[in-house]
Amino acid sequence: MRKNIKKEKTFGSGWKKLAPKSSRRPASRAALRKRLSSVARILFFMFLLGSMGYGVWWIDKLARSDSGPIDLTGPAIPISGVSFHSDGVLSENWFDNWFGPLRGRSLMELDIDEIQEALLAEDQICFARVSRAFPDTLRIEIKERHPILVLRLGAKTGEVQDWLVSPDGTLYQGAGYPRSALSLLPSLSVDSSLLRPKKEGKGYERLEGIPTVAPLLDLVRREYPAIYRDWQVVSYERPNATDPGAHVRVRSGRVRNLRFSPGKFGVQMRRLHYLLLEPDVRKSPVIESIDLSHGRSVFAKI
Amino acid sequence: MSKIIGAVEIGTSKAKALVGEVTENGSLSIVGMASRPNEGMRKGEIVDFRKAADAVHASLEEAEKMSGTTVDSVYLAQTGIHLRGQMLTGSASVSSSENRVSVSDLDRASAEAKHRQPESGRSYVHHIRTPIVLDGKAVDDPVGMLGKKVDLGYWSVDGDDQAIRQALCVITNYAGLEVADLILSSIASSTMMAGPDLRRAGALVIDLGAGVTDLSLYRQGYVAYTGVIPVGGDHVTGDLSMGLRVLEPYAEKLKIEHGKASPDPSDADEDIWIIGNKTIGDRSISRKAISDVIHVRVVELFEIISKELGNLLDPDELKGGILLTGGGSKLPGIEVVASKVLGMPVRKATFTPGIDSELATHENATVLGLLHYGLEDNGRPPGQNNDDESPSGFLGKLAGIVGIS
Repeated sequence: MRKNIKKEKTFGSGWKKLAPKSSRRPASRAALRKRLSSVARILFFMFLLGSMGYGVWWIDKLARSDSGPIDLTGPAIPISGVSFHSDGVLSENWFDNWFGPLRGRSLMELDIDEIQEALLAEDQICFARVSRAFPDTLRIEIKERHPILVLRLGAKTGEVQDWLVSPDGTLYQGAGYPRSALSLLPSLSVDSSLLRPKKEGKGYERLEGIPTVAPLLDLVRREYPAIYRDWQVVSYERPNATDPGAHVRVRSGRVRNLRFSPGKFGVQMRRLHYLLLEPDVRKSPVIESIDLSHGRSVFAKI
Repeated sequence: MSKIIGAVEIGTSKAKALVGEVTENGSLSIVGMASRPNEGMRKGEIVDFRKAADAVHASLEEAEKMSGTTVDSVYLAQTGIHLRGQMLTGSASVSSSENRVSVSDLDRASAEAKHRQPESGRSYVHHIRTPIVLDGKAVDDPVGMLGKKVDLGYWSVDGDDQAIRQALCVITNYAGLEVADLILSSIASSTMMAGPDLRRAGALVIDLGAGVTDLSLYRQGYVAYTGVIPVGGDHVTGDLSMGLRVLEPYAEKLKIEHGKASPDPSDADEDIWIIGNKTIGDRSISRKAISDVIHVRVVELFEIISKELGNLLDPDELKGGILLTGGGSKLPGIEVVASKVLGMPVRKATFTPGIDSELATHENATVLGLLHYGLEDNGRPPGQNNDDESPSGFLGKLAGIVGIS
């Protein structure tokens, strides 16, 4: 039993029913201060709860969102055109065919790094830069390799393929070149052992020795165009210019067999030019051979 | 986790508020206390709501500030001449074939006692159980004992709805503060001043307040009577003001500093000077005159008490004696006058040990008694059911941190 002084719980008609359900307007300044303080605490509590709720929602949203790049550019606009610049023969049409349709795609949908890598994978292109010109233009800047020789290869199927050779020895099947321009290029004749197919993809590895030949062809094309137009086949032995016996061989309409030593092509070409102007040589329409690879001594067989 | 409880006494002269902290081990520390003069009360009842609210709220605010915490509910002392006590009794025959008393027998007796409703416009304030009587013999716990009839009673106090509602409104107006329980002022003060031994021996506690005098009479450890006499210290002040023709503030000062309950022959030669204002000027008053005026009123008060108690003032039943408490008990010689009038030994009550000496004053007896009740309600040992459990869960704790509960 409870202690005898302990108050019994109210029964019957107790005072609790008289307690006002809600308090009236504060009757004193102390009550007003207390009420304001209580309201402030409740508001602070609600603010705290709201902040926590917002925080949870924000963290949840962050966790669910894609981890990809955040689009800060606003609504995307479809690409309206491509700004294409090349120092060679490739054009915007070529790019359109190469890349495919851009209709309806926005700049941010394109992976420009991937496009740039794909362009550089093309052997005809030695430099590429892809950028976005907001709001709706894709900018392409490329630099191309230019051909100095043509290598004609027969496939197993019997088909003949022409490969263009750039000064650095890259072999590529060129696009966009006019047929007339390619017809002026001398052919290259090399031992098949020097042709090494690429391990991945189509084509061949760079040809060694071409960087040795390229200055000769460039010199002749610029300073002796008449002679250059007459050159038909170019070949070389031992691609390393320092090897003893290394030489470049050219077959042309006027001289059946021309032989240059690798290096000092200017001196050798001046000698050839001089020789071809000699009265005795000029009388002969076709010269059998001229060997310029022995320094000051030139051997000619008329 | 400790619990904060509050106690408020809306006294006729002062409003007092206490804030206590009940620790887990059931001990109580008083962490805040304040009192403010109350001009909104007359004879223990609110006559000016705003003034009473001002005093109560200001004392609550200061007590909260002192404690550094907030109080959600308080124990409120209730007094006033509107309170009336009566004994409600009920009985039940022991239903068991073996004549062993069961809990259901007690429940039936209790239900019969509680059957009686108060008059219209009145509500019960306090119910105190009286001894259980088994076949005419008082027992503490009759369950399991052999017997034929169980009698059970409650000393029930009811009060006027309007007066109770006014007091409740003063509390709830303090930003929705709740009243945990209403406690009779007389029971609260007597709980503090009369220990269990005195109550068992039988004692009468007279709480001499400013507006009213509260009585509580114990027999065999149980409350046998409570009452309110509409005479208090303010009446003495009023008598002095009228009898000596001084303003009430001066009369109050004379009573406190120079008053005696019975005149002393040596007082005739002693004059008290009142330093007045420009209107009344300075004047002297005989100390005997002061004591004479006070004596008349004090004698009248104890005669009223004697008449009110009647046969209850039985020296054989009140071996613990008569104890005086409340602000009025500080009047020198009052216990002598009381003893002469009541015909029984009367002494000034002393606090039970363990209460700080600064708090242990007669004016604080009631409000300290309220906290004692709060401790009874909240200081239960762990493991027992508790209706006021602390808030659980993350949100509950968070609400507790910002002070919302």
